[in-house]
Amino acid sequence: MTATANTAMSKAEEREARRRAKRLKRFDSPWMNPKLLWGAGILIGILLFGFFGRLLWDPELVFIGSAPLNLPPLGFENLRGDGGSTAHPLGTQSSGRDILALLIVGAPNTLFIGVIASLIGMAIGIVLGFSAGFIGGRTDDVIRVIADVMITIPPLMVLIVFQTSIGEIGIVMMGVLLSGFMWQSPTRLIRAQVLSMRESGYVRMARLSGASTFDIMFKEMLPNLVPYLFGSFIAIATTAIVTAVGLETLGLGPQRVPTLGRVIYEAIDSAALLRNMWWWWGIPTALLATMFIGLLLVNLGLDEVANPKLRKV
Amino acid sequence: MSGGTTKAIPVEYLFNRLLTFFLTVFIAASIIWLIPRLSPIDPAEAMLGRMAAGAGFVENADQILADLRTQFGLDEPLWKQYLAYLKSLAVFDFGVSVANFPTPVAQMLAAALPWTIGLMIVSVVIAFIIGNAAGAFMAWQETPKTWKVVIPAAMIFTSIPPILSGLLLMWLFSAQLGWFPLTGSYGLFVTPGWNWEFIYSVIEHGALPALSIVVVTFGFWALGMRGLMTTVQSEDYVQLAKAKGLRPRYILYRYMIRNAILPQVTAFALKIGLLVTGQILVERIFSYNGMGKLIYDAILNQDFAVIQGASYVVILMTAASVLLVDLLYPFIDPRIRHGGGR
Amino acid sequence: MGRRGKQLVLGALGVAVLLALIAIPYRDPMSGDAPIAREDTVIFDLDRSIKNPRNFNWLTPGVKRLHGAHQAMWEPLFVLNYANGELEPWLGLSIESNASHDVWTLVLRQGVEWSDGEAFDADDVEFTARMLMDSDAISAREAIRFKAQVDDVEKIDSHTIQFRLKQPNPGFHIENFGVLNFSSFLVMPEHIWRGQTVGSFDFFPPIGTGPYTFSSATSQRAIWDRDDNWWGARAGFLELPAPKRLVWIETGGQENRAQLLRSNQLDAGQHLALGIFEAIQARNPNVVSWHDGFPYSWTDPCPRQLEINATVEPWDNPAMRKAIAHIVDRQQIIDIVYEGSTVPSKTMFVQYGAMQPFIDAVVDAGYELPTRANLEAAHAIIEDNGYSMGDDGTYVKDGVPLTTRILANTASAETTGTVDLLVEQLQRAGIDARSVPVEDGVFWGEVIPLGDYEMSYSWLSCGSVNEPWASMVRYTNNSMAPIGERAPGYNNTGRWDTDATDRYTAVVNRIGQLSLGDPQIPGLVAEAYRELDAETPFIPLVQAAKVLSFNETHWTGWPRANDFYVHPMHWWNSTHLIIHQLEKADGGP
Repeated sequence: MTATANTAMSKAEEREARRRAKRLKRFDSPWMNPKLLWGAGILIGILLFGFFGRLLWDPELVFIGSAPLNLPPLGFENLRGDGGSTAHPLGTQSSGRDILALLIVGAPNTLFIGVIASLIGMAIGIVLGFSAGFIGGRTDDVIRVIADVMITIPPLMVLIVFQTSIGEIGIVMMGVLLSGFMWQSPTRLIRAQVLSMRESGYVRMARLSGASTFDIMFKEMLPNLVPYLFGSFIAIATTAIVTAVGLETLGLGPQRVPTLGRVIYEAIDSAALLRNMWWWWGIPTALLATMFIGLLLVNLGLDEVANPKLRKV
Repeated sequence: MSGGTTKAIPVEYLFNRLLTFFLTVFIAASIIWLIPRLSPIDPAEAMLGRMAAGAGFVENADQILADLRTQFGLDEPLWKQYLAYLKSLAVFDFGVSVANFPTPVAQMLAAALPWTIGLMIVSVVIAFIIGNAAGAFMAWQETPKTWKVVIPAAMIFTSIPPILSGLLLMWLFSAQLGWFPLTGSYGLFVTPGWNWEFIYSVIEHGALPALSIVVVTFGFWALGMRGLMTTVQSEDYVQLAKAKGLRPRYILYRYMIRNAILPQVTAFALKIGLLVTGQILVERIFSYNGMGKLIYDAILNQDFAVIQGASYVVILMTAASVLLVDLLYPFIDPRIRHGGGR
Repeated sequence: MGRRGKQLVLGALGVAVLLALIAIPYRDPMSGDAPIAREDTVIFDLDRSIKNPRNFNWLTPGVKRLHGAHQAMWEPLFVLNYANGELEPWLGLSIESNASHDVWTLVLRQGVEWSDGEAFDADDVEFTARMLMDSDAISAREAIRFKAQVDDVEKIDSHTIQFRLKQPNPGFHIENFGVLNFSSFLVMPEHIWRGQTVGSFDFFPPIGTGPYTFSSATSQRAIWDRDDNWWGARAGFLELPAPKRLVWIETGGQENRAQLLRSNQLDAGQHLALGIFEAIQARNPNVVSWHDGFPYSWTDPCPRQLEINATVEPWDNPAMRKAIAHIVDRQQIIDIVYEGSTVPSKTMFVQYGAMQPFIDAVVDAGYELPTRANLEAAHAIIEDNGYSMGDDGTYVKDGVPLTTRILANTASAETTGTVDLLVEQLQRAGIDARSVPVEDGVFWGEVIPLGDYEMSYSWLSCGSVNEPWASMVRYTNNSMAPIGERAPGYNNTGRWDTDATDRYTAVVNRIGQLSLGDPQIPGLVAEAYRELDAETPFIPLVQAAKVLSFNETHWTGWPRANDFYVHPMHWWNSTHLIIHQLEKADGGP
């Protein structure tokens, strides 16, 4: 009896200890810090909203004239005293587009522009950063100067020139164009890290053991840079999205494909503020703000991963 | 402090910085020139065609157009056109506006720039003061607990572009409460000049655009200041001062803020350049008379010369502010020397 | 040394701030004008900027009239009052024709003076008429129309002038002297214009006969001050108008317009989207429109339409134009762009009472335009013409997608809104349509007259309000200009010129010979309309509803549905009738 009770006890204790250890481990892993989790949660939430939204809601409602005009969200009244409708729970705007559908289609598009710009920018940045840091010499000089120069050119201005002379562009094209301004800061960051790592023990070891430059760069050094890369990725994605939203609110960028910036542009253009149609500009603004907060949290969280010192604060 | 007897800028450093500056402007100008050439229709040519069509009613229109044609050198080889373009940029000659033919673009830019620069200086200075105060307050050990929670919560705004805060403020204070005018940079019926009516009107119109920039930027300064303060706090001289039993407030002002503020000033100048584009969007939603409205109207009117000129000027401003920081930094922070690594 | 560096930096910053402050432009339009109280000022809305504030030569393009020049300074000879259909005499006293409508005799009012004291008489009218007839440099529509019709002009005595026409025209007096639409023949002072080159004279400072004289103008505003020595008051024609100053300001967009109306800084506003007007009225009940309730709007005499260039492939094919006509959904335009405040066009004409017989004739003949789209019919036509639907939902023929570009004048939100919707309708029907924004000056100065477009949105059948000819004649091939040359008077800018056009022109020219009210006319209208229906040179869309706003805080007496003394278009030459009716609001703030 007592023996069985004892074993039962110890089993329970063991389980408890294991659970505690797991929990400890979870909190110990720098990747599991609350900022990162919250931030990632917000961003994934927006993506899921877009993904499931398309399944559950009719994306065709983003087109002009697909819904009644100027409906308020459920539970509110517009200026004419019409109440909201369950067919359009977040209301509609003045040319008969459904706000919910605009968000479902627009939010992932907006994120998507950032991701494309960021991915391409990172890829360029990794190649150039490593080349500059590892090869050094003339290559380093050239890359460094170009990155220094390009980093001061505001992407918005160049893209405005591009749009007005070339004409309308799509989502992917916009991402690609933006990426031309997104490689400079990862390049600089990676170059600096590579320079400091180049002299570290394990890289010297690898070099002594005859590993190729390529192997050293991508097999030995790259994994150590991952937190920086992620941080940089998020930072430039944020910049890309801010720039894209800026272009869209000027009425440039994709015209027929909804993006959050475009929705806001149309709201401003149709005097939604004066019409008191807060749902038209307010809901996309709130969603964009949430998106930026998510990005910020992820960025802060990644900072903690990269700089353990910050974690204690 | 660090015994540096001479503070003259070393020639090599100066040369390097200036080179980067000119390279930046040159590359940006080239990109702006190149992009339209990628399009099947050359806007420069299309623009001249349009102006020629609508120009019958302007005195000397033929002369203006002929001058522009030589300036663009549309029948010349591309490299010659390019050189002519660079030459005209150097003297701030951006041609004339299509929508406001024959007003020179430079004249329109000159009218818009003071508004943009004025708004920028005001909003950045306010954000800088509030942000640094908040940051210092946050890091100071004597700050009450509640504030330590409230201020970081405000930090979340940092991530939001000013155009969004602008919309929110516009809706709340103009459309709903009617405290401030919705749009414009001064009343239609005040006489611009040095009179109180006008100054009041300018302040009234500028308050919301400035505020929308301040609320999203002050957090940036606060965060930076907090970090610096934390570092400064553990410095020997602060510890020494504490050991001497000086009043905490005195230590805060005299020792901590004074030392932490220097790097912030650098960031300040750097930020000015970065803020321009964000502010342009704010100006657009407030129909503020600056560059933002100019650019937006030009987009609406397909006024390519204005767009090109405005882009060039914004790029120039950004590059100039970076140059300024690089050159001024060593004066402000005695620990840094020109050309030294920082 | 470090301290000095710091001082240097601070000094530099200080100087920069000062410079920025000083540089704020204080070039001011109002400076030099004596202050006049807001209560004595009427502020009108200008929907575009004044590109040449120092040029008042209205014969050449640009904003030379609607910034107050022809509302306050230049008076019309007559005004066709839409309220009662009568031709009200103004500078003219009477105008009559001979039996064959080819000689017209104009008698001027006595005692009219230019604001500089010179007498206004038959010499001025004759001089202006000859100037229009002899010059090739003019481009104003009113000037070109006059030039096209008049063969000779002769002064009979100091107040009587005779016009001999090239062809009989029963509507000559209304078309040319009656402010039929926007403006009319504006008489210029001979003593100033004589010896000037018509195409390049700037007429600055301008003078007129009106009760207001030019004070100042910038690109954003024009100011006119009352001339207390106005001839009309002295001659007992009319009392001096009540406002001491009239101001036209460029409001720049609906949002600003709405804000100014709400804060009582604007007295007469141009069109606002219905929703915006409702929002303003909810906050400021002094802001009123034509009707007190829904739909609020006044029907503008220029119905909206889609212009198609008949020389550009594939739209040179009448069947393809017809397909577009089938795709257009008029009700959707009304629902969305006008928020329900207007009605679809049944024909090319404005749906005023006086036009009803002609509209009925067309409708009875079976040419009424449908309210809704007929996509099956459109698809059938497009497929008959060799197109097949591609995978992306766009029609393709020989690997080339079916595309079109619709030009939209950026001057108004109504235009861009409609074009966006048309693009959407065409896109859904399988045509890859794009909207192309074009600046106002370029739109009217170049692309429209030169025919440099595929499709464009405008109101070029505007003209008729009480008879059908004025609108119909605009699509004849009476005076065709090839693409690349200016279409005279913006007529037939799409260059519709086929056998059907010949037949159409023949019938319309016959209508032009008949007296107003001739019973043959409705039948002839239907006959001519058959060609329009068959070849679709343009596609009428909707009646143009204008939600014009008037602010009664400072001034009352605005024309409204319940006080319909004249039509309310305050950017027209007929505004002279309005300004004499304005009264100060009692107990205004």
